[in-house]
Parts: sequence; structure tokens; C-alpha cells
Amino acid sequence: MTIIAIDQNLCTGCKECSKVCPTLAIEGYPHQPQTIAESRCVMCGQCVQKCKSYVSVAEHGAEAYERVRSERGLPESVKEPLFAAYNVCRLNEVKAALADPDKFTLVQCAPAVRMAIAEDFGYPLGTLAAGKLAAALRRIGFNKVYDANFGADVTIMEEGSELIDRVTNKGLLPMFTSCCPAWVRYVETKHPDLRNHLSSTKSPQQIEGALMKTYGAKITKTPAEKIYVVSVMPCTCKQFESSRPEMSDSGGRDVDVVMTTRELAWLIKDLGIDFAALPDEGFDKPLGDYSGAAGIFGVTGGVMEAALRTGYELLTGEAIPAVDIAAVRGTDGFRTAEVPVGQLKLKVGIVTGLKNVEPVMEELKAGRLNDYHFIEVMTCPEGCVTGGGQPKLLVDLDLPEAYRARAAATYSHDKELPVRKSHENPSVKKLYDDFLKKPLGKESHKLLHTTYAGDPKHH
Amino acid sequence: MPSEFGLFVSADPGKCSGCKACELACFQSHHVKRNKVGLTVGTVAVPVTPKLYVTVMETASMPIQCKHCENAPCKAVCKQFAISRADGVVIVDEKKCIGCKDCLMACPFGAVSLLPYFVDGRPVPQADSDEGKVAAAKCDLCFEDTAGPACVRACPNEALHLTDVDADRKRKNIAAAEALAVINAGVPERGLL
Repeated sequence: MTIIAIDQNLCTGCKECSKVCPTLAIEGYPHQPQTIAESRCVMCGQCVQKCKSYVSVAEHGAEAYERVRSERGLPESVKEPLFAAYNVCRLNEVKAALADPDKFTLVQCAPAVRMAIAEDFGYPLGTLAAGKLAAALRRIGFNKVYDANFGADVTIMEEGSELIDRVTNKGLLPMFTSCCPAWVRYVETKHPDLRNHLSSTKSPQQIEGALMKTYGAKITKTPAEKIYVVSVMPCTCKQFESSRPEMSDSGGRDVDVVMTTRELAWLIKDLGIDFAALPDEGFDKPLGDYSGAAGIFGVTGGVMEAALRTGYELLTGEAIPAVDIAAVRGTDGFRTAEVPVGQLKLKVGIVTGLKNVEPVMEELKAGRLNDYHFIEVMTCPEGCVTGGGQPKLLVDLDLPEAYRARAAATYSHDKELPVRKSHENPSVKKLYDDFLKKPLGKESHKLLHTTYAGDPKHH
Repeated sequence: MPSEFGLFVSADPGKCSGCKACELACFQSHHVKRNKVGLTVGTVAVPVTPKLYVTVMETASMPIQCKHCENAPCKAVCKQFAISRADGVVIVDEKKCIGCKDCLMACPFGAVSLLPYFVDGRPVPQADSDEGKVAAAKCDLCFEDTAGPACVRACPNEALHLTDVDADRKRKNIAAAEALAVINAGVPERGLL
């Protein structure tokens, strides 16, 4: 399955994309069209964000634009520039599902989508639009507007419990986060011997998908086979993640199709929905309920902070003294912190930007990270708010401000939410009471955990 | 002292990667008001019409843009008086342009193109038909932008410069004079000539 491609007719061979590719997967001579080495590509889409070589009236002719748009299966309402590097669009599958009366469509959005989608409607960079996003998805016609943020809260319950289990039962440490599919892909292809350091907990998208098709089927009284799950992600790699054979623990695929933030903006425009006129609405309960901790998954250090807010309480039985954990915030490529958790000094690390991970892997192999407990890794420059599927800047000089504003919006959204810890999300509590019973339990193990390629037990 | 000649943007083909960041920045900066173009690609609903043209050769690339000629041939041939030159900047008035292509023929550098002319997100119709009109598009040095040409700022490789040939010439004169002064002082027989 092709996720990221470079149009050979459009690429000028400037190689600017190869400067941002974290795995040196883009090959070709200067001034010649480039190709992607699929064995190395982690599908992060940073090349898609970077590429400026557009279909031009002056260079390619007046007919070229419509031809490229139709080749890529984009809606005819799309008028924006199309570039040589692109991610394969699956909006046609989304539209077909919406039009199918036999399908019960459930949608989920990643935390970072609400921090950026308004930009494609002319709003300032980093405008929070959670309410308009929910309203738009409802107008589009999804039967339920759920949220990957709920899945993120459940991720914390499972991954936090897994960390405590590894720490107290002398399991393999440090444990790496597994939310970022490009990072998981990188470990599997480049460092398969280190794959057991990855948390077995699935990503929020896949947890939410598996829950929608099981728990969601139960509470909406819908047969699971009628449920069709659509994700909206800031990430081009999430389509790959959702299509992995491991990600079908509910019976069929846990997530059926993924669209990016940009593609959702196209769909909203295509259906003639006036984004500016939309009211603020909420996400549907219970699978759309979320805490502030889930919301910060979209920025670098966010998963760590969310895990600490809950892990602290699970281990010590007391609330964490300060909910905001400044020690893990920031944008440095690799930063570390020591967080006192009861008797334990938890040593944590955060990597942002996949190009910064290789020295950390070398340290790990050399045995110099043995005293670390937990390391978060995100592939994109400053976490998912800077993902390959997010609104693309016309001029890269605006990138730092986009990154800053989207992260600032993320933290202020967290602050304004009534519940800021995953384990305090009332719908998460109910999920465990009624369905999962306990973190790392039998049902969780079946639906919410996975194994990684190279494992002999791998199915 | 103000320069004698008009300034223009020139590119260093050794630094230019051919990425077209300059073309997009040029387009963006000229269409904020005219076509409500924002900061992201998704805010664009009109064709990208830059005023400079990245030219990719086999082993090098560089954008070609207007040199704001002192005796501008495009201006001389424009029968509609759509091209003017003020403060050293040659500017096209798209409203007056009839798309006759005389300026394209006259320009020795190919710095002028005819591109679709959109206002408020819609094609401007031709006088006697519904078809969209085209208009001459060429560098205007971002004369309305106090920060200077958008292309120069946006280039990721610092390949573009706002060039002042008059100042450059004077600088080269001084450097040459200084060098010659040293050389002449070291050659005694020169004094006898």
C-alpha cells in the first residue's frame, strides 16, 4: 500500500525534502525527480509538508491541474495548489461509507486536529476549534462523533499500568512509547532487536477503534459488522498503522480508513459546510469524553506528562502535587528529567524529531540508558501538532509560529478542561467498570495491546 | 546616497536548489488582499500565479525575474500604457492589460508571463465573454511590502539577493583602486611613465 509518493512529472529534484526526511529515504540526483525507498520510509509526511514544487499553469499548462487532481482522487472542489510530494488520499472511501445506508459510521479525531484545522479556513495559526470540529463532523453525517482523545485517556490507563508493572516486576526498561506509528515502524525496520522496549499498548487511534467496534457496538446496539470507523489524524502514517494486520482485534479492521486534517478541511468545503458559521458543539459520550491529559498527546512531552499525572497516583495513592509538569515540556530534540514518585525517582526521556533518536538508540545499545524507566518518542518536529497531515504552510518562515501557536493552544485547552487526568475521566471509569474490568486485564490484553514485527509470537 | 539605477532581485545558481519556495512566497504575498490567501495551502482557492519563474537546467537552477530595466522594452511596447516605471520599479497594471503578449516578446529574459487574473477568488471575465482573462505577471519588487521582496526572505538557501548594481560597481571600483594603489607603489618605474 502506497502512503507517500512523489510525482515524477512534478518533482524538480531540489532535494529540500531529503533535508527533512528523518530516515534518508528520498533518493535521486539533484535537479532530477526523486524517488522514495519504501524500505526506509516511515511515512511521516514531513516531505509532503516541505515540498513546494506545485502544478503550475505557467510550466505544466492549464489542463495539468485537473488531471493531477483527478489522478489523486481528490474532490473537484479542491482548488488549492497540488505538489510533487503527496500522501495518498482516501476521501472517496470515506464518502462511499457515508453514503452507504448499511454502514453505521463512527468518527474519531486526534488531539492535534482541533489545534490546526481552522488554519485552512483562514483563522490565525493555532486557533483551537474543538467545538467547530465536532459540529462539522456531525454536519458531514457521521452517526457518532467520538474522539481519539478518549482513546488517549485509555492509553494512559493501560500504558501507565504497564510501566508500573515493568518497574515493580523487573520488566524490560526503559519502556518506549508506542503512540507514534512512524516511530514504531522505525524500530521494527532499523532496530528490531530493541522492539521489546516498545510499550505493548496500542496507540489512541487503535484503542479507540477497537473500543468503538466492541464497546461502541454494545452501547449503540449496533452489530459490529455494520460499524465503519473513520479517523481524522494530523498524521500520514496513521493510515499505515490502521491497515496493519495486527490492528484487527475486534474481528475486522479496528479502524477502516484515515483522513488527514487537510483532507477533512477538503471534505468540509466539498459538502458546502460554512465552517465560520458552525456553532461550538461537544463530542458524543461516552467514547468522546476526554481529559486535559489526553489533549496534550498532540505535543512533544505530552504523553509523558499525561502518563505521569496518572502513574503518580496509581503508584503512590496520592494526587500529583502539580498537574503541570514543566520538567517534561519544551522542544529540545532529547531532554531528560527525574520525577520523584513516592520512594521512586522516575527517570524519563523525551525525544522529538526522529532524526534525534539515533544517538539515543546508540546510548541504549551501549547500556548507558539502563537506569531510565520511560522514554517518549515522536517522529515529527515538535509532536503531532507538527504532523505530516496538518495544514501546510505556504511559506516555511511561518513554521516556527505555527508550531508555537498550536502547542500553546494545546496547553491552554488542557488548562480549561474540568478533568485533567486520564484516570479521573468518568467515562473511562465506566468503561473499566462495565466492560474492561481492569487495566492489563483479559479484555484489555485482547483489544488494546499488540506485538511488534520480528517477534516469534507475532501473528 | 540613493543608487543611480533601479534595484532588482538576482539569484545565485550555485545556491538555488530549484525548490520554488520563492514562487510560493511571491504568490502568497501578492494575494492576501486580492484573493484572501492566508498562511496555509488550504486557504488558496485560485491558481498559483507567481511573478518570478524558477528555471531548472540539467545541473543548476535559478529563478528568472524582472531586472527593472532602465529603458524597459516591455514598457516601451505596451500600447495600453499598462506598464509604468516609478522609483526604479517596473509595474504592470493588470486591469489595463489586454494580454497582447507584446511585453513577452520584448523582454529579453522571459521575465514576463501571461497568467490567469483572479480577484476575490474568482476569475475576472474578459470584456466580451465569460472566459477568464489573463494578465502579464512580472516582479514588482513587492513595492507595497515594507519588509522587501518576499522571495528573498523565503529562500531556504539564501540564494536570492536584492541587487544594487550601482553600489556594487562603486564597491568594486574602490577595491580595484586599493589593489592598484598597492601594486603601483611597488613598481618604481611606473612613477616615470
